Amino acid sequence: MTTALIVLPLAAALLVWLLPLPRIWVGGVALLASLAEVGLWIETLVRFDFEQSGLQFAQRRSWFSDLHVSYHVGMYPFSLWLAGLTAVVMAAAVAYAVWIGRDRPRAYFGLMLFLTGAIVGVFTAQDLLLFYAFFEAMLIPLYVLVGVWGGAGRLGATVKFVIYTMAGSLLMLAAIVVYGLQQGTFDLVDIGPSGSDWIFLGFVVAFAIKAPLFPFHGWLPDAYRESPPEVSAVLSGVVSKAAAYGFIRIAITKFPGPTHDLRAPILALAAVGLVYGSLLAFRAPDVRGVVAYSSLAQMGLVTLGIFAVNDLGLDGAVLQMVNHGLISAALFLLAGMVERRTSTGEFALLGGMARGRPALATVLMTTGIIALAVPFSSAFAGEFLILAGVLQQGWGWAVVGAAAIVLAAMYVLRLISGVLHQEVGVAVPEAALDLRPGELAVVVPLVGLLLALSAWPASVSQRSFPNDQPSGMVEGVLGPSGAAVPAGKVRIEISTSEPASP
Amino acid sequence: MIWGAWLCLVSPLAAAALITIGGNGISRRAAGYLATLATGIAFVGALVSFFALVSRDPGDREHLSTAWTWLGAGSYHSGLSILVDPLSVMMMLVVSGVGALIVGYSVGYMDGDPEERRYFAYMAVFVFSMLLLVEGGNLLLLLAGWGMVGLSSYLLIGFWHERPSAIAAAKKAFVMNAIGDATMALAFFVLIQRTGSLDYGDVFARSGRLGGWAINLVALGLLGGAVAKSAQLPLQTWLPDAMEGPTPVSALIHAATMVTAGVYLIVRTHPIFEQAPKIENLAAGLGAATLLMAGLIALVQTDVKRVIAYSTMSQIGYMFVGAGLGAYANGMFHLMTHAFFKALLFMAAGIVIHALAGEQDIRNMGGLRELMPFTRWCFLVGSLALVGVFPFAGFFSKDSILAAAMDHGWYGYVLWVAGLAGTLLTGLYTFRMYFVVFGGQRSAYVREHFHQEHGEGPFSMTSTVAILAGLAFVGGWIEFAPFWHPVTNWLEPVARPLVEPASWMEWTSSAIALVLGLAGIGIAWVFYGARRPRPVPRLAPVERALAHKLYFDEAYDLVFYRPAARLALLLGKLVERPLIAGSGRELAAGSVDVGRGFSRLQTGLVRTYALAIASSLAVIAIVFVAVR
Repeated sequence: MTTALIVLPLAAALLVWLLPLPRIWVGGVALLASLAEVGLWIETLVRFDFEQSGLQFAQRRSWFSDLHVSYHVGMYPFSLWLAGLTAVVMAAAVAYAVWIGRDRPRAYFGLMLFLTGAIVGVFTAQDLLLFYAFFEAMLIPLYVLVGVWGGAGRLGATVKFVIYTMAGSLLMLAAIVVYGLQQGTFDLVDIGPSGSDWIFLGFVVAFAIKAPLFPFHGWLPDAYRESPPEVSAVLSGVVSKAAAYGFIRIAITKFPGPTHDLRAPILALAAVGLVYGSLLAFRAPDVRGVVAYSSLAQMGLVTLGIFAVNDLGLDGAVLQMVNHGLISAALFLLAGMVERRTSTGEFALLGGMARGRPALATVLMTTGIIALAVPFSSAFAGEFLILAGVLQQGWGWAVVGAAAIVLAAMYVLRLISGVLHQEVGVAVPEAALDLRPGELAVVVPLVGLLLALSAWPASVSQRSFPNDQPSGMVEGVLGPSGAAVPAGKVRIEISTSEPASP
Repeated sequence: MIWGAWLCLVSPLAAAALITIGGNGISRRAAGYLATLATGIAFVGALVSFFALVSRDPGDREHLSTAWTWLGAGSYHSGLSILVDPLSVMMMLVVSGVGALIVGYSVGYMDGDPEERRYFAYMAVFVFSMLLLVEGGNLLLLLAGWGMVGLSSYLLIGFWHERPSAIAAAKKAFVMNAIGDATMALAFFVLIQRTGSLDYGDVFARSGRLGGWAINLVALGLLGGAVAKSAQLPLQTWLPDAMEGPTPVSALIHAATMVTAGVYLIVRTHPIFEQAPKIENLAAGLGAATLLMAGLIALVQTDVKRVIAYSTMSQIGYMFVGAGLGAYANGMFHLMTHAFFKALLFMAAGIVIHALAGEQDIRNMGGLRELMPFTRWCFLVGSLALVGVFPFAGFFSKDSILAAAMDHGWYGYVLWVAGLAGTLLTGLYTFRMYFVVFGGQRSAYVREHFHQEHGEGPFSMTSTVAILAGLAFVGGWIEFAPFWHPVTNWLEPVARPLVEPASWMEWTSSAIALVLGLAGIGIAWVFYGARRPRPVPRLAPVERALAHKLYFDEAYDLVFYRPAARLALLLGKLVERPLIAGSGRELAAGSVDVGRGFSRLQTGLVRTYALAIASSLAVIAIVFVAVR
């Protein structure tokens, strides 16, 4: 099942690249394949047993037996949700690209499908080297997608993106190699915990660049502004979650000691990023700038939840990852739709688009309201759990988080009124149409999912870890030596002098 | 009976969804009728619940119904549940009853607006949110409703979104309320940490575990939410600006229901407040300070809706005094009568504004007495009820709060004096408004703009005003503290009062309050109502301060908004651009420099290479040892 989820889009990518299809058909085939991926994921969801502990739909084939490297994939509940998020957001992105008709479709759609497979691979890989391979495979199509199909400043954006992510990847590779050799295996399920602060930091910095977290976000503003809107949607909606996934799957579960020791500085960086991102979002001059910096803030929030390392924080973080994935994807796509009508995203030139465009107003307003986490929305549910969790690590974190939520209200309302309300902007032509059926078909499902989640956020939050016991998962993965982790507190001393394998 | 409560909650939401999805398929008229019908059904549902409760024993009047687990993580979970008990049923009746009347009134008031559908969808969302707030079976759902009413208030204040002032007011209201939401959420986080739950029963039972400072913090957080929502000091500045919205919105949200939610919150969570008496006193003190301040500011306002808005603020101050003192039933009773007479005043003012083509400045009104006799009488009933003249509604509810203050030691007497002073102010500003609008000579503006053909508005508007006038007249009779008190008895199982004023306190308070209220009316008559009014004494500096609403807006702008905006700019200029987001060219140039540096290493000398290799090996060896 897991392998099928990875292989289906990869195979479709090959098909698009190799088969001599007419150009008109390429988009259709790609859209079909991404919808099939969503269908396959739904099938997986139905067959997934949330009562069962441990890995599900696992598959393992030895790869380099002497190094204990294997093709090992499988899913925990949180992997399942993130894979689903990937399938849905990628389908929306592909649908949007089909709707506006990207040029050089064969290359474009092939890359999008390849990207889908790679991201699902990241979320399901249970072997460190396999994880690394998928991680890199995810980045390469992104370089091309930003660099070839992006806006005017795409080259600079790509260079920065490449430099930052390369640095992160190298750090992660070094960390993986040292860690794997030390433990004598690269298998994520079998590998024992480590107490090395250095390896831990290697992983953390690599993920912090990818997320991004403050102050590693130098690539973010340009990449999110210059990419095609649907690629920005994928970048902030899904790819950023790979980093948060890494925090959960590797950093806190495999490095309980360093997590405990270095938690305060990481929480501090996350909190600073949350406030910093919110403030910059509040002053950003254009729509995508607001969404980009709000992504920075949101990833800070998710990180707060993860490094609270307790039931509330971890469950909330997974819920918020799904929420933010859908929200930022919808917002970037909407930003693209606005830009297509006005050929700008600057607030100074926009405004008054609500008059006569009820569909655009309704959809943007609904998404924005959920994005600012109005109580009773799923984003509120996620943020509530995260902050309730992080309060248990110190009330100051929760106070900062609550203040940032007030800031979130300010920047989202500024976005909404800047685009929709007040006087009609100079760049808004009278003839700019309301959302067309094709565009509605792209964003309405995302918004619909958010509304459904708002009605029942527990569907994700209570089903994000085996038996709804995140702390149990943290223990279980740790193996026998880590079984003493009390709920919500990682306090194990692990000797750092395990014999390293040559 | 529980189905009645669910019906009450769901029917407005269904109407909102139908209007949104129906879009142009539903005529504008039909959208209005649909929203009215749904709110009416909600009222029927509330009535069903009420009669079901009445028929039961007072000890058996609390029923919780859970649809599904809404949010959960680990051992904590909160259900999507509703609570039907005397307190929530009382609020349901007020919200859906007054709500149905006002939504019906809107059918006439909003007639002809191009975006009527959107208006009625928002109104239905508001009624749903308010019902969620009062019916929510745990603190999390209370907060959910709390945020949703703030959202609908934002949407409706900014309904005419081409007006920059309306959008600014809407954003201000939302952000002020978000501050309150945030302090409430923080209080809830502490509760989760200490009690592991947000269910009313569990939290109240275990609140003893919180300990001294934690319980005070929790109560303070709740109070923060209450003062933000109810526009009390120090988060009061948004309410007058909120008058940018359509008048029925001001009546429903910013007078009758949403702004009184703070009182409901204090009564609902009274077991927590009772363990934090200092915070309770703070709540009462803030209420007293607000009622005086708002009464003073109302004296100089010239916009008819803003006068009524300040009077709302002031009346909620009385409710806070009552709730803070532990006179819960009295506070709730005043909440109910206030909903009647304040909605009446807004609706009657709405008829005037409608007839004068949108004019809201009272200086442009005058002499409307003969032109709008029906509205004038209704407005007079509302004004008398507001001042608390016997036998109108306010007399019964306000005076019982003042009496309760006498049974609370010296602090109670301070509040009592403030409340009495407020009564004088109430008489003064209310009848200043009344005399200026309806009395005197017709102004030039009235002669020019008054629509004679309109009459006093369509049936939907006049009938609502008539019903509300009736309620403002007789609504207070259900409880007359010295003789009969069904409201207190009804709420007894939920919130037992902490103060029990003696009979002489009731009589004394009522007598003094009545005299002061009439004195206020008399003074207003001398300066504004008499055939030859005396010139109003001028005190320029005071007037200027009051006209600027005591400079709260300016102070908040200076202390909070500007520093935050400047900080954001500075971060962008000093941190983001130079340190983090260096341009691609700089990065490229940097890597070229590095490359050039490395190229210099290619000397071709074997001994340099050997040295480099050896030293690198040494470094790697050291790193390996360290990493191990």
